[in-house]
Amino acid sequence: MKIVACIKYSLDASEVKVDAASKELKMAGVPYKVGVIDKHVLEMAVSLQEAYGGTVHAITVGPVSAKESFREALAMGLEEVVLIENPLEGQVAPDVTAVVLAEAIQKLGDVDLVVCGEVSDDGFTYQVPPRLAEALNMPLISFARTAAIENGRLVADRDLEDSVQTVSVPLPALISVVEESNTPRRPTLLEAMKAKKKPVNIWNVETDLGLSAADLQQKAALEKVSAEGVVVHRKRQILKGDDLNALSNELVDLLLADHILEGGA
Amino acid sequence: MPGILVYSEKHQVVRELLGKARQVADEKGMAVAAVYLGESVPEDLADLGAWGADTVYTVASPLLVGLNPETYTDALAGVIAEVKPELVLVGATKPGLEISARTAARLGAGVASFCVDFDFSAEGVVTAQCMIYSGVGINTYQIKTQPALATVAPAVFEAVKRDGSAVVTALDVSIRQPAMTILEYKEKAAAGVRWEDAPVIVDVGMGMSDKSHLGLAEELASLFEGQVACSRPVSSERDWFPEWLGLSGKKIHADLCITLGISGSIQHVVGIRDSKTIVAINSDENAGIFSQADYGVIADLHEFVPILVAALKARSAKLAR
Ligand SMILES: Cc1cc2nc3c(=O)[nH]c(=O)nc-3n(C[C@H](O)[C@H](O)[C@H](O)COP(=O)(O)OP(=O)(O)OC[C@H]3O[C@@H](n4cnc5c(N)ncnc54)[C@H](O)[C@@H]3O)c2cc1C
Repeated sequence: MKIVACIKYSLDASEVKVDAASKELKMAGVPYKVGVIDKHVLEMAVSLQEAYGGTVHAITVGPVSAKESFREALAMGLEEVVLIENPLEGQVAPDVTAVVLAEAIQKLGDVDLVVCGEVSDDGFTYQVPPRLAEALNMPLISFARTAAIENGRLVADRDLEDSVQTVSVPLPALISVVEESNTPRRPTLLEAMKAKKKPVNIWNVETDLGLSAADLQQKAALEKVSAEGVVVHRKRQILKGDDLNALSNELVDLLLADHILEGGA
Repeated sequence: MPGILVYSEKHQVVRELLGKARQVADEKGMAVAAVYLGESVPEDLADLGAWGADTVYTVASPLLVGLNPETYTDALAGVIAEVKPELVLVGATKPGLEISARTAARLGAGVASFCVDFDFSAEGVVTAQCMIYSGVGINTYQIKTQPALATVAPAVFEAVKRDGSAVVTALDVSIRQPAMTILEYKEKAAAGVRWEDAPVIVDVGMGMSDKSHLGLAEELASLFEGQVACSRPVSSERDWFPEWLGLSGKKIHADLCITLGISGSIQHVVGIRDSKTIVAINSDENAGIFSQADYGVIADLHEFVPILVAALKARSAKLAR
Protein backbone atom coordinates (compact mmCIF):
# COMPACT_ATOMS: atom_id res chain seq x y z
CA MET A 1 0.00 0.00 0.00
CA LYS A 2 1.30 3.43 -0.90
CA ILE A 3 0.29 6.00 1.69
CA VAL A 4 0.78 9.75 1.35
CA ALA A 5 0.68 11.95 4.46
CA CYS A 6 -0.02 15.65 3.84
CA ILE A 7 1.66 17.77 6.49
CA LYS A 8 2.39 21.44 7.03
CA TYR A 9 5.17 23.59 8.37
CA SER A 10 2.91 25.90 10.36
CA LEU A 11 3.18 29.15 12.16
CA ASP A 12 2.71 28.84 15.92
CA ALA A 13 -0.46 30.92 16.25
CA SER A 14 -0.24 31.00 20.05
CA GLU A 15 2.90 33.14 19.66
CA VAL A 16 1.20 35.84 17.58
CA LYS A 17 0.67 38.89 19.79
CA VAL A 18 -1.32 42.04 19.22
CA ASP A 19 -0.18 45.59 19.83
CA ALA A 20 -2.99 46.88 22.03
CA ALA A 21 -2.72 50.47 20.80
CA SER A 22 -2.32 49.99 17.04
CA LYS A 23 -4.08 46.56 16.85
CA GLU A 24 -1.17 45.50 14.70
CA LEU A 25 -0.35 41.78 14.60
CA LYS A 26 3.22 41.28 15.75
CA MET A 27 4.49 38.62 13.33
CA ALA A 28 8.24 39.15 13.69
CA GLY A 29 9.93 36.24 15.40
CA VAL A 30 6.83 34.03 15.49
CA PRO A 31 8.23 30.48 15.18
CA TYR A 32 7.25 27.91 12.56
CA LYS A 33 7.22 24.15 13.14
CA VAL A 34 5.60 20.97 11.87
CA GLY A 35 2.08 21.38 13.28
CA VAL A 36 0.48 19.60 16.23
CA ILE A 37 -2.16 18.01 14.03
CA ASP A 38 0.53 16.80 11.61
CA LYS A 39 2.03 14.49 14.24
CA HIS A 40 -1.36 12.77 14.41
CA VAL A 41 -1.44 12.56 10.60
CA LEU A 42 1.99 10.91 10.57
CA GLU A 43 1.05 8.52 13.37
CA MET A 44 -2.09 7.46 11.50
CA ALA A 45 -0.17 6.97 8.24
CA VAL A 46 2.67 5.00 9.83
CA SER A 47 0.43 2.78 11.94
CA LEU A 48 -1.65 1.90 8.85
CA GLN A 49 1.57 1.07 7.01
CA GLU A 50 2.64 -1.16 9.92
CA ALA A 51 -0.71 -2.94 9.88
CA TYR A 52 -1.13 -3.39 6.13
CA GLY A 53 2.38 -3.04 4.66
CA GLY A 54 3.67 -0.60 2.06
CA THR A 55 5.37 2.77 2.28
CA VAL A 56 4.59 6.24 3.65
CA HIS A 57 5.60 9.40 1.79
CA ALA A 58 4.94 12.80 3.32
CA ILE A 59 4.27 15.80 1.10
CA THR A 60 4.20 19.43 2.09
CA VAL A 61 4.06 22.83 0.44
CA GLY A 62 6.38 25.29 2.13
CA PRO A 63 9.62 27.20 2.08
CA VAL A 64 12.85 25.35 1.27
CA SER A 65 14.26 26.72 4.54
CA ALA A 66 11.93 24.27 6.35
CA LYS A 67 13.99 21.34 5.06
CA GLU A 68 15.68 20.51 8.37
CA SER A 69 12.39 20.63 10.29
CA PHE A 70 11.23 17.26 8.97
CA ARG A 71 13.87 15.10 10.72
CA GLU A 72 11.48 14.00 13.47
CA ALA A 73 8.74 13.29 10.94
CA LEU A 74 11.17 11.11 8.95
CA ALA A 75 12.18 9.31 12.12
CA MET A 76 8.54 8.37 12.76
CA GLY A 77 8.84 5.91 9.87
CA LEU A 78 8.61 7.73 6.54
CA GLU A 79 10.29 6.80 3.28
CA GLU A 80 10.81 10.41 2.28
CA VAL A 81 9.45 13.92 2.59
CA VAL A 82 8.59 15.73 -0.62
CA LEU A 83 8.87 19.45 0.02
CA ILE A 84 7.16 21.40 -2.73
CA GLU A 85 8.73 24.80 -2.82
CA ASN A 86 6.10 27.46 -2.05
CA PRO A 87 5.47 29.06 -5.45
CA LEU A 88 3.92 32.21 -3.96
CA GLU A 89 4.78 34.95 -1.53
CA GLY A 90 3.78 34.15 2.06
CA GLN A 91 0.91 31.86 3.10
CA VAL A 92 -0.56 29.69 0.36
CA ALA A 93 -4.34 29.83 0.05
CA PRO A 94 -6.17 26.52 0.59
CA ASP A 95 -7.56 26.43 -2.96
CA VAL A 96 -4.03 26.71 -4.34
CA THR A 97 -2.57 24.21 -1.85
CA ALA A 98 -5.15 21.62 -2.90
CA VAL A 99 -4.28 22.02 -6.58
CA VAL A 100 -0.54 21.65 -5.90
CA LEU A 101 -0.97 18.66 -3.57
CA ALA A 102 -3.27 16.92 -6.05
CA GLU A 103 -0.69 17.30 -8.80
CA ALA A 104 2.10 15.99 -6.54
CA ILE A 105 0.01 12.99 -5.45
CA GLN A 106 -0.63 12.14 -9.09
CA LYS A 107 3.07 12.40 -9.81
CA LEU A 108 3.92 10.04 -6.92
CA GLY A 109 1.58 7.60 -8.67
CA ASP A 110 -0.40 4.51 -7.56
CA VAL A 111 -1.36 6.08 -4.26
CA ASP A 112 -3.84 4.02 -2.24
CA LEU A 113 -4.45 6.33 0.68
CA VAL A 114 -3.94 10.03 1.40
CA VAL A 115 -3.92 11.05 5.08
CA CYS A 116 -4.55 14.72 5.99
CA GLY A 117 -5.23 16.60 9.21
CA GLU A 118 -8.78 17.90 9.70
CA VAL A 119 -7.44 21.46 9.78
CA SER A 120 -4.02 23.11 9.88
CA ASP A 121 -2.83 24.76 13.10
CA ASP A 122 -2.33 28.14 11.46
CA GLY A 123 -4.53 28.45 8.37
CA PHE A 124 -7.53 26.93 10.11
CA THR A 125 -9.86 26.87 7.10
CA TYR A 126 -10.78 23.13 6.98
CA GLN A 127 -10.73 23.50 3.19
CA VAL A 128 -7.73 21.50 1.98
CA PRO A 129 -8.92 17.88 2.54
CA PRO A 130 -12.34 18.34 0.87
CA ARG A 131 -10.85 20.40 -1.98
CA LEU A 132 -8.16 17.75 -2.45
CA ALA A 133 -10.82 15.01 -2.56
CA GLU A 134 -12.61 16.92 -5.31
CA ALA A 135 -9.39 17.56 -7.23
CA LEU A 136 -8.36 13.89 -7.09
CA ASN A 137 -11.92 12.67 -7.56
CA MET A 138 -11.46 10.26 -4.63
CA PRO A 139 -13.77 9.64 -1.67
CA LEU A 140 -12.88 11.27 1.64
CA ILE A 141 -13.63 10.24 5.22
CA SER A 142 -13.32 13.47 7.18
CA PHE A 143 -12.91 14.05 10.95
CA ALA A 144 -11.78 10.45 11.47
CA ARG A 145 -11.00 9.09 14.91
CA THR A 146 -10.06 5.59 13.71
CA ALA A 147 -9.04 3.91 10.45
CA ALA A 148 -8.81 0.35 9.20
CA ILE A 149 -8.72 -1.43 5.85
CA GLU A 150 -11.35 -4.13 5.51
CA ASN A 151 -11.95 -6.09 2.29
CA GLY A 152 -10.16 -3.46 0.26
CA ARG A 153 -12.20 -0.60 1.74
CA LEU A 154 -11.25 2.12 4.18
CA VAL A 155 -13.44 1.98 7.31
CA ALA A 156 -13.38 4.78 9.88
CA ASP A 157 -15.32 6.51 12.64
CA ARG A 158 -16.32 9.99 11.50
CA ASP A 159 -16.75 12.34 14.45
CA LEU A 160 -19.42 14.98 13.85
CA GLU A 161 -20.95 17.38 16.39
CA ASP A 162 -23.98 15.32 17.32
CA SER A 163 -23.04 11.85 16.16
CA VAL A 164 -20.27 9.41 15.42
CA GLN A 165 -20.69 7.53 12.16
CA THR A 166 -18.86 4.41 11.11
CA VAL A 167 -18.44 4.74 7.36
CA SER A 168 -16.59 2.99 4.56
CA VAL A 169 -15.29 4.04 1.15
CA PRO A 170 -13.48 2.17 -1.63
CA LEU A 171 -9.74 2.71 -2.10
CA PRO A 172 -7.98 4.80 -3.27
CA ALA A 173 -9.30 7.31 -0.77
CA LEU A 174 -8.50 10.23 1.50
CA ILE A 175 -8.91 10.45 5.24
CA SER A 176 -8.68 13.55 7.43
CA VAL A 177 -7.91 12.87 11.07
CA VAL A 178 -8.74 14.70 14.29
CA GLU A 179 -6.27 15.27 17.11
CA GLU A 180 -8.10 12.73 19.26
CA SER A 181 -7.38 9.92 16.78
CA ASN A 182 -4.12 8.74 18.34
CA THR A 183 -1.06 9.50 20.46
CA PRO A 184 1.90 10.25 18.19
CA ARG A 185 4.95 8.09 18.78
CA ARG A 186 8.27 9.54 19.88
CA PRO A 187 11.08 8.26 17.69
CA THR A 188 13.92 6.47 19.47
CA LEU A 189 17.49 7.72 19.25
CA LEU A 190 18.27 4.92 16.78
CA GLU A 191 15.33 5.92 14.57
CA ALA A 192 16.46 9.51 14.74
CA MET A 193 19.98 8.48 13.65
CA LYS A 194 18.66 6.42 10.76
CA ALA A 195 16.38 9.26 9.69
CA LYS A 196 19.43 11.40 8.98
CA LYS A 197 19.96 9.33 5.84
CA LYS A 198 16.38 9.70 4.65
CA PRO A 199 15.72 12.30 1.97
CA VAL A 200 13.80 15.55 1.94
CA ASN A 201 13.24 15.86 -1.82
CA ILE A 202 12.57 19.34 -3.09
CA TRP A 203 10.11 19.74 -5.94
CA ASN A 204 9.41 22.84 -7.95
CA VAL A 205 5.82 23.46 -9.10
CA GLU A 206 6.91 24.44 -12.59
CA THR A 207 9.75 22.04 -13.40
CA ASP A 208 8.50 19.03 -11.38
CA LEU A 209 4.72 19.42 -11.50
CA GLY A 210 4.23 21.30 -14.75
CA LEU A 211 2.11 24.00 -13.12
CA SER A 212 2.53 27.70 -13.78
CA ALA A 213 3.33 29.79 -10.72
CA ALA A 214 1.68 32.77 -12.38
CA ASP A 215 -1.54 30.78 -12.91
CA LEU A 216 -1.50 29.65 -9.30
CA GLN A 217 -1.12 33.24 -8.16
CA GLN A 218 -4.19 34.07 -10.26
CA LYS A 219 -6.14 31.15 -8.82
CA ALA A 220 -6.32 32.31 -5.22
CA ALA A 221 -9.94 33.41 -4.88
CA LEU A 222 -9.44 35.59 -1.82
CA GLU A 223 -7.49 38.80 -1.83
CA LYS A 224 -6.39 40.14 1.54
CA VAL A 225 -7.36 43.77 2.01
CA SER A 226 -6.30 44.30 5.61
CA ALA A 227 -5.49 42.56 8.87
CA GLU A 228 -5.84 43.58 12.46
CA GLY A 229 -5.52 42.04 15.88
CA VAL A 230 -8.45 41.45 18.18
CA VAL A 231 -8.13 43.49 21.35
CA VAL A 232 -10.48 42.54 24.16
CA HIS A 233 -10.46 44.82 27.15
CA ARG A 234 -10.59 43.00 30.45
CA LYS A 235 -10.20 44.34 33.97
CA ARG A 236 -7.51 41.79 34.87
CA GLN A 237 -7.92 42.23 38.60
CA ILE A 238 -6.21 39.44 40.51
CA LEU A 239 -7.32 38.28 43.94
CA LYS A 240 -4.86 36.32 46.01
CA GLY A 241 -4.29 35.33 49.60
CA ASP A 242 -4.62 32.43 52.01
CA ASP A 243 -8.04 33.31 53.38
CA LEU A 244 -10.37 31.78 50.79
CA ASN A 245 -13.44 33.06 52.63
CA ALA A 246 -12.21 36.59 52.29
CA LEU A 247 -11.35 36.03 48.61
CA SER A 248 -14.77 34.65 47.80
CA ASN A 249 -16.52 37.55 49.52
CA GLU A 250 -14.25 39.99 47.73
CA LEU A 251 -15.16 38.39 44.39
CA VAL A 252 -18.89 38.55 45.18
CA ASP A 253 -18.50 42.23 46.16
CA LEU A 254 -16.79 43.04 42.86
CA LEU A 255 -19.46 41.27 40.82
CA LEU A 256 -22.17 43.12 42.76
CA ALA A 257 -20.44 46.45 42.23
CA ASP A 258 -20.28 45.72 38.49
CA HIS A 259 -24.01 44.86 38.49
CA ILE A 260 -23.25 41.38 37.21
CA LEU A 261 -24.85 40.04 40.38
CA GLU A 262 -27.63 41.56 42.46
CA GLY A 263 -29.07 41.04 45.95
CA GLY A 264 -26.39 39.70 48.23
CA ALA A 265 -25.90 42.52 50.72
CA MET B 1 -32.92 36.37 -8.16
CA PRO B 2 -31.57 35.91 -4.64
CA GLY B 3 -28.43 37.76 -3.74
CA ILE B 4 -27.68 35.68 -0.66
CA LEU B 5 -28.28 31.97 -0.19
CA VAL B 6 -27.91 30.35 3.23
CA TYR B 7 -27.49 26.71 4.20
CA SER B 8 -26.95 24.75 7.39
CA GLU B 9 -28.17 21.37 8.55
CA LYS B 10 -28.83 23.04 11.94
CA HIS B 11 -32.13 24.91 12.09
CA GLN B 12 -30.93 27.47 14.61
CA VAL B 13 -27.88 28.29 12.46
CA VAL B 14 -30.12 28.79 9.41
CA ARG B 15 -32.04 31.42 11.39
CA GLU B 16 -28.82 33.12 12.50
CA LEU B 17 -27.48 33.25 8.94
CA LEU B 18 -30.83 34.58 7.71
CA GLY B 19 -30.75 37.31 10.38
CA LYS B 20 -27.52 38.82 9.07
CA ALA B 21 -28.26 38.09 5.41
CA ARG B 22 -31.60 39.91 5.66
CA GLN B 23 -29.99 42.98 7.20
CA VAL B 24 -27.32 43.27 4.48
CA ALA B 25 -29.74 42.37 1.70
CA ASP B 26 -32.18 45.09 2.78
CA GLU B 27 -29.43 47.69 2.59
CA LYS B 28 -28.44 46.52 -0.89
CA GLY B 29 -31.89 45.71 -2.25
CA MET B 30 -31.13 42.02 -2.61
CA ALA B 31 -33.20 38.91 -2.02
CA VAL B 32 -32.45 36.19 0.53
CA ALA B 33 -33.05 32.47 0.15
CA ALA B 34 -32.52 29.45 2.36
CA VAL B 35 -31.77 25.92 1.18
CA TYR B 36 -33.28 22.80 2.68
CA LEU B 37 -31.73 19.42 1.83
CA GLY B 38 -33.10 16.12 3.13
CA GLU B 39 -34.90 12.88 2.57
CA SER B 40 -38.26 14.65 2.60
CA VAL B 41 -39.42 18.23 2.91
CA PRO B 42 -40.92 19.35 6.24
CA GLU B 43 -44.30 21.12 6.16
CA ASP B 44 -43.32 24.30 7.95
CA LEU B 45 -40.51 25.67 5.76
CA ALA B 46 -42.53 28.74 4.73
CA ASP B 47 -42.06 29.84 8.35
CA LEU B 48 -38.45 30.67 7.53
CA GLY B 49 -39.96 33.83 6.04
CA ALA B 50 -40.40 34.98 9.62
CA TRP B 51 -36.62 34.74 10.02
CA GLY B 52 -35.74 36.62 6.84
CA ALA B 53 -36.02 34.26 3.87
CA ASP B 54 -37.90 35.35 0.73
CA THR B 55 -37.59 31.88 -0.76
CA VAL B 56 -36.73 28.40 0.49
CA TYR B 57 -35.30 26.08 -2.14
CA THR B 58 -35.72 22.42 -1.31
CA VAL B 59 -34.11 19.28 -2.63
CA ALA B 60 -35.56 15.98 -1.45
CA SER B 61 -33.94 12.65 -2.22
CA PRO B 62 -33.56 9.28 -0.52
CA LEU B 63 -29.80 9.82 -1.00
CA LEU B 64 -29.81 12.87 1.32
CA VAL B 65 -29.39 10.87 4.52
CA GLY B 66 -26.86 10.72 7.36
CA LEU B 67 -25.22 13.99 6.26
CA ASN B 68 -23.36 12.08 3.55
CA PRO B 69 -20.99 14.78 2.29
CA GLU B 70 -21.02 13.53 -1.29
CA THR B 71 -24.77 13.68 -1.85
CA TYR B 72 -25.17 16.93 0.09
CA THR B 73 -22.46 18.49 -2.07
CA ASP B 74 -24.23 17.38 -5.25
CA ALA B 75 -27.42 18.95 -3.94
CA LEU B 76 -25.92 22.23 -2.74
CA ALA B 77 -23.80 22.69 -5.87
CA GLY B 78 -26.88 21.93 -7.96
CA VAL B 79 -28.98 24.54 -6.15
CA ILE B 80 -26.26 27.17 -6.54
CA ALA B 81 -25.90 26.42 -10.25
CA GLU B 82 -29.64 26.92 -10.67
CA VAL B 83 -30.18 29.94 -8.41
CA LYS B 84 -26.89 31.78 -9.14
CA PRO B 85 -26.55 33.74 -5.89
CA GLU B 86 -23.82 36.32 -5.32
CA LEU B 87 -22.99 34.98 -1.85
CA VAL B 88 -23.56 31.62 -0.16
CA LEU B 89 -23.35 31.46 3.64
CA VAL B 90 -22.84 28.00 5.14
CA GLY B 91 -22.87 27.16 8.86
CA ALA B 92 -19.34 26.23 9.99
CA THR B 93 -20.35 22.91 11.52
CA LYS B 94 -18.22 19.92 10.54
CA PRO B 95 -20.59 18.81 7.75
CA GLY B 96 -20.94 22.45 6.64
CA LEU B 97 -17.17 22.97 6.50
CA GLU B 98 -16.79 19.91 4.31
CA ILE B 99 -19.60 20.46 1.83
CA SER B 100 -18.88 24.18 1.43
CA ALA B 101 -15.25 23.49 0.47
CA ARG B 102 -16.24 20.65 -1.90
CA THR B 103 -18.95 22.77 -3.49
CA ALA B 104 -16.52 25.65 -3.93
CA ALA B 105 -13.94 23.35 -5.51
CA ARG B 106 -16.51 22.22 -8.07
CA LEU B 107 -17.65 25.74 -8.86
CA GLY B 108 -14.12 27.19 -8.86
CA ALA B 109 -15.20 29.52 -6.07
CA GLY B 110 -13.49 30.96 -3.02
CA VAL B 111 -14.53 30.32 0.57
CA ALA B 112 -13.96 32.85 3.34
CA SER B 113 -13.58 30.64 6.43
CA PHE B 114 -14.94 31.60 9.84
CA CYS B 115 -16.48 34.80 8.61
CA VAL B 116 -17.66 37.16 11.36
CA ASP B 117 -18.92 40.00 9.18
CA PHE B 118 -19.45 40.70 5.48
CA ASP B 119 -20.62 43.34 3.06
CA PHE B 120 -20.83 44.10 -0.64
CA SER B 121 -18.70 46.81 -2.21
CA ALA B 122 -20.26 49.39 -4.54
CA GLU B 123 -19.20 47.14 -7.44
CA GLY B 124 -20.94 44.18 -5.82
CA VAL B 125 -17.78 42.40 -4.68
CA VAL B 126 -18.12 40.52 -1.40
CA THR B 127 -15.82 41.62 1.39
CA ALA B 128 -15.60 39.24 4.34
CA GLN B 129 -13.99 39.60 7.74
CA CYS B 130 -12.56 36.33 8.95
CA MET B 131 -10.86 35.02 12.07
CA ILE B 132 -7.19 34.23 11.54
CA TYR B 133 -4.44 32.67 13.68
CA SER B 134 -6.90 30.94 15.99
CA GLY B 135 -8.81 34.18 16.50
CA VAL B 136 -5.85 36.38 17.42
CA GLY B 137 -6.69 38.55 14.43
CA ILE B 138 -9.27 39.37 11.79
CA ASN B 139 -8.44 39.53 8.08
CA THR B 140 -10.59 41.39 5.60
CA TYR B 141 -10.77 39.65 2.21
CA GLN B 142 -12.33 40.41 -1.10
CA ILE B 143 -13.77 37.28 -2.61
CA LYS B 144 -13.03 37.51 -6.30
CA THR B 145 -15.30 34.70 -7.51
CA GLN B 146 -19.00 34.53 -8.24
CA PRO B 147 -20.50 32.92 -6.34
CA ALA B 148 -18.55 33.78 -3.23
CA LEU B 149 -18.86 31.39 -0.29
CA ALA B 150 -18.34 32.00 3.42
CA THR B 151 -18.55 29.72 6.44
CA VAL B 152 -19.96 31.15 9.66
CA ALA B 153 -19.71 29.51 13.09
CA PRO B 154 -22.87 29.00 15.17
CA ALA B 155 -23.88 31.94 17.38
CA VAL B 156 -21.81 34.51 15.42
CA PHE B 157 -24.87 36.19 13.88
CA GLU B 158 -28.17 36.83 15.58
CA ALA B 159 -31.50 35.37 14.51
CA VAL B 160 -34.07 38.18 14.12
CA LYS B 161 -37.79 37.44 14.07
CA ARG B 162 -40.04 39.50 11.79
CA ASP B 163 -43.27 39.15 9.83
CA GLY B 164 -43.31 37.18 6.66
CA SER B 165 -43.74 33.90 4.92
CA ALA B 166 -41.33 32.40 2.42
CA VAL B 167 -42.14 30.91 -0.97
CA VAL B 168 -41.09 27.26 -0.96
CA THR B 169 -39.73 26.05 -4.29
CA ALA B 170 -38.71 22.45 -4.96
CA LEU B 171 -35.73 22.04 -7.25
CA ASP B 172 -34.90 18.98 -9.26
CA VAL B 173 -31.17 18.48 -8.83
CA SER B 174 -29.28 15.41 -9.92
CA ILE B 175 -27.62 13.49 -7.09
CA ARG B 176 -25.24 10.63 -7.75
CA GLN B 177 -24.95 7.39 -5.84
CA PRO B 178 -22.23 8.10 -3.23
CA ALA B 179 -19.00 6.14 -2.79
CA MET B 180 -19.34 6.46 0.99
CA THR B 181 -21.49 3.92 2.83
CA ILE B 182 -22.69 4.75 6.31
CA LEU B 183 -22.48 1.53 8.32
CA GLU B 184 -23.52 2.80 11.72
CA TYR B 185 -24.86 6.07 13.12
CA LYS B 186 -24.51 6.74 16.85
CA GLU B 187 -26.09 9.87 18.33
CA LYS B 188 -23.88 11.40 20.99
CA ALA B 189 -25.32 11.54 24.49
CA ALA B 190 -26.64 14.94 25.53
CA ALA B 191 -25.87 16.38 22.11
CA GLY B 192 -27.67 19.56 21.29
CA VAL B 193 -27.31 21.41 24.62
CA ARG B 194 -27.33 25.10 23.72
CA TRP B 195 -24.41 26.55 25.67
CA GLU B 196 -24.73 29.53 23.33
CA ASP B 197 -27.99 30.52 25.05
CA ALA B 198 -26.93 30.11 28.68
CA PRO B 199 -26.62 33.35 30.72
CA VAL B 200 -23.91 31.81 32.91
CA ILE B 201 -21.31 29.23 31.93
CA VAL B 202 -19.04 27.42 34.35
CA ASP B 203 -16.16 26.37 32.14
CA VAL B 204 -14.20 23.34 33.36
CA GLY B 205 -10.63 22.69 32.26
CA MET B 206 -7.98 20.03 32.79
CA GLY B 207 -7.23 21.59 36.19
CA MET B 208 -10.21 19.72 37.61
CA SER B 209 -8.56 16.61 38.91
CA ASP B 210 -11.37 14.11 38.75
CA LYS B 211 -14.88 13.69 37.35
CA SER B 212 -16.25 13.32 40.88
CA HIS B 213 -15.65 17.07 41.29
CA LEU B 214 -17.95 18.01 38.40
CA GLY B 215 -20.71 18.33 40.98
CA LEU B 216 -18.93 21.46 42.28
CA ALA B 217 -19.21 23.09 38.88
CA GLU B 218 -22.82 21.99 38.52
CA GLU B 219 -23.73 23.43 41.90
CA LEU B 220 -22.11 26.75 41.03
CA ALA B 221 -23.89 26.85 37.67
CA SER B 222 -27.24 25.91 39.20
CA LEU B 223 -27.16 29.03 41.40
CA PHE B 224 -27.60 31.08 38.20
CA GLU B 225 -29.55 28.61 36.05
CA GLY B 226 -26.31 28.31 34.13
CA GLN B 227 -24.64 25.40 32.42
CA VAL B 228 -21.35 23.58 32.76
CA ALA B 229 -19.13 23.50 29.69
CA CYS B 230 -15.50 22.50 29.15
CA SER B 231 -12.25 22.78 27.21
CA ARG B 232 -11.38 20.50 24.33
CA PRO B 233 -9.19 17.99 26.21
CA VAL B 234 -11.84 17.60 28.94
CA SER B 235 -14.17 16.44 26.19
CA SER B 236 -11.85 14.67 23.81
CA GLU B 237 -9.39 13.07 26.21
CA ARG B 238 -11.57 12.54 29.25
CA ASP B 239 -14.94 12.23 27.54
CA TRP B 240 -16.82 14.13 30.27
CA PHE B 241 -18.85 16.09 27.69
CA PRO B 242 -19.65 15.48 24.00
CA GLU B 243 -18.64 19.04 23.01
CA TRP B 244 -16.28 21.80 24.05
CA LEU B 245 -15.83 25.54 23.89
CA GLY B 246 -13.31 27.24 21.63
CA LEU B 247 -12.04 27.70 18.15
CA SER B 248 -12.95 24.20 17.03
CA GLY B 249 -15.94 24.03 19.36
CA LYS B 250 -18.80 26.22 20.55
CA LYS B 251 -18.65 29.95 21.08
CA ILE B 252 -20.60 31.55 23.89
CA HIS B 253 -21.61 35.09 24.78
CA ALA B 254 -22.67 34.64 28.38
CA ASP B 255 -23.25 37.42 30.91
CA LEU B 256 -20.85 35.61 33.21
CA CYS B 257 -18.30 32.93 32.42
CA ILE B 258 -16.42 31.33 35.33
CA THR B 259 -13.43 29.25 34.28
CA LEU B 260 -12.16 26.51 36.61
CA GLY B 261 -8.68 25.18 35.88
CA ILE B 262 -8.46 26.55 32.34
CA SER B 263 -4.97 27.59 31.23
CA GLY B 264 -6.10 30.22 28.72
CA SER B 265 -4.81 29.04 25.33
CA ILE B 266 -6.03 31.29 22.53
CA GLN B 267 -7.87 28.36 20.92
CA HIS B 268 -10.00 28.08 24.04
CA VAL B 269 -10.33 31.78 24.84
CA VAL B 270 -11.78 32.57 21.42
CA GLY B 271 -14.81 30.52 22.45
CA ILE B 272 -15.49 32.51 25.63
CA ARG B 273 -14.14 35.99 24.95
CA ASP B 274 -17.48 37.41 23.82
CA SER B 275 -18.80 36.91 27.36
CA LYS B 276 -19.55 40.11 29.26
CA THR B 277 -17.59 39.19 32.38
CA ILE B 278 -14.97 36.47 32.79
CA VAL B 279 -13.86 35.16 36.17
CA ALA B 280 -10.87 32.79 36.21
CA ILE B 281 -9.96 30.42 39.00
CA ASN B 282 -6.54 28.85 38.59
CA SER B 283 -3.86 27.74 41.05
CA ASP B 284 -1.00 28.96 38.86
CA GLU B 285 -0.52 32.69 39.12
CA ASN B 286 1.26 32.73 35.77
CA ALA B 287 -1.65 31.12 33.92
CA GLY B 288 -2.44 33.00 30.71
CA ILE B 289 -6.15 33.02 31.48
CA PHE B 290 -5.61 35.79 34.05
CA SER B 291 -4.77 38.27 31.30
CA GLN B 292 -8.03 37.34 29.56
CA ALA B 293 -10.25 37.68 32.64
CA ASP B 294 -11.90 40.51 34.52
CA TYR B 295 -11.35 38.85 37.86
CA GLY B 296 -8.81 36.17 38.61
CA VAL B 297 -8.60 34.15 41.78
CA ILE B 298 -5.35 32.34 42.46
CA ALA B 299 -6.56 29.26 44.29
CA ASP B 300 -7.08 25.53 44.08
CA LEU B 301 -10.47 25.24 42.45
CA HIS B 302 -11.43 22.20 44.54
CA GLU B 303 -11.02 24.23 47.72
CA PHE B 304 -12.27 27.56 46.43
CA VAL B 305 -15.47 26.61 44.60
CA PRO B 306 -17.29 25.17 47.66
CA ILE B 307 -16.41 28.32 49.60
CA LEU B 308 -17.60 30.55 46.76
CA VAL B 309 -20.85 28.59 46.48
CA ALA B 310 -21.39 28.97 50.22
CA ALA B 311 -20.74 32.73 50.05
CA LEU B 312 -23.14 33.18 47.11
CA LYS B 313 -25.81 31.20 48.95
CA ALA B 314 -25.29 32.92 52.28
CA ARG B 315 -25.59 36.32 50.61
CA SER B 316 -28.33 35.14 48.22
CA ALA B 317 -26.59 36.78 45.30
CA LYS B 318 -28.34 36.30 41.97
CA LEU B 319 -27.48 37.11 38.41
CA ALA B 320 -28.58 40.70 37.77
CA ARG B 321 -31.59 41.00 35.44
C1 LIG C 1 -5.89 23.75 15.91
C2 LIG C 1 -6.25 23.67 17.37
C3 LIG C 1 -7.57 23.88 17.77
C4 LIG C 1 -7.91 23.83 19.12
N1 LIG C 1 -9.21 24.08 19.47
C5 LIG C 1 -9.53 24.10 20.78
C6 LIG C 1 -10.86 24.43 21.20
O1 LIG C 1 -11.75 24.68 20.39
N2 LIG C 1 -11.12 24.44 22.53
C7 LIG C 1 -10.16 24.18 23.48
O2 LIG C 1 -10.47 24.23 24.67
N3 LIG C 1 -8.92 23.88 23.11
C8 LIG C 1 -8.57 23.82 21.79
N4 LIG C 1 -7.30 23.50 21.44
C9 LIG C 1 -6.37 23.06 22.51
C10 LIG C 1 -5.78 24.22 23.27
O3 LIG C 1 -4.63 24.69 22.60
C11 LIG C 1 -5.36 23.80 24.70
O4 LIG C 1 -4.54 22.68 24.64
C12 LIG C 1 -6.54 23.48 25.61
O5 LIG C 1 -7.52 24.48 25.53
C13 LIG C 1 -6.07 23.38 27.05
O6 LIG C 1 -7.14 23.00 27.88
P1 LIG C 1 -7.16 23.34 29.44
O7 LIG C 1 -6.98 24.79 29.65
O8 LIG C 1 -8.39 22.71 29.98
O9 LIG C 1 -5.94 22.46 30.00
P2 LIG C 1 -4.46 22.84 30.40
O10 LIG C 1 -3.81 23.68 29.38
O11 LIG C 1 -3.84 21.56 30.80
O12 LIG C 1 -4.62 23.76 31.69
C14 LIG C 1 -5.04 23.32 32.95
C15 LIG C 1 -4.94 24.50 33.88
O13 LIG C 1 -5.47 24.13 35.15
C16 LIG C 1 -4.69 24.71 36.17
N5 LIG C 1 -4.84 23.89 37.36
C17 LIG C 1 -4.29 22.68 37.62
N6 LIG C 1 -4.70 22.23 38.80
C18 LIG C 1 -5.52 23.15 39.32
C19 LIG C 1 -6.26 23.25 40.53
N7 LIG C 1 -6.23 22.29 41.46
N8 LIG C 1 -7.00 24.37 40.74
C20 LIG C 1 -7.04 25.37 39.84
N9 LIG C 1 -6.36 25.31 38.67
C21 LIG C 1 -5.62 24.22 38.42
C22 LIG C 1 -3.29 24.73 35.62
O14 LIG C 1 -2.54 25.76 36.26
C23 LIG C 1 -3.52 25.00 34.14
O15 LIG C 1 -3.45 26.40 33.89
C24 LIG C 1 -6.93 23.55 20.10
C25 LIG C 1 -5.61 23.36 19.70
C26 LIG C 1 -5.26 23.42 18.37
C27 LIG C 1 -3.82 23.22 17.99
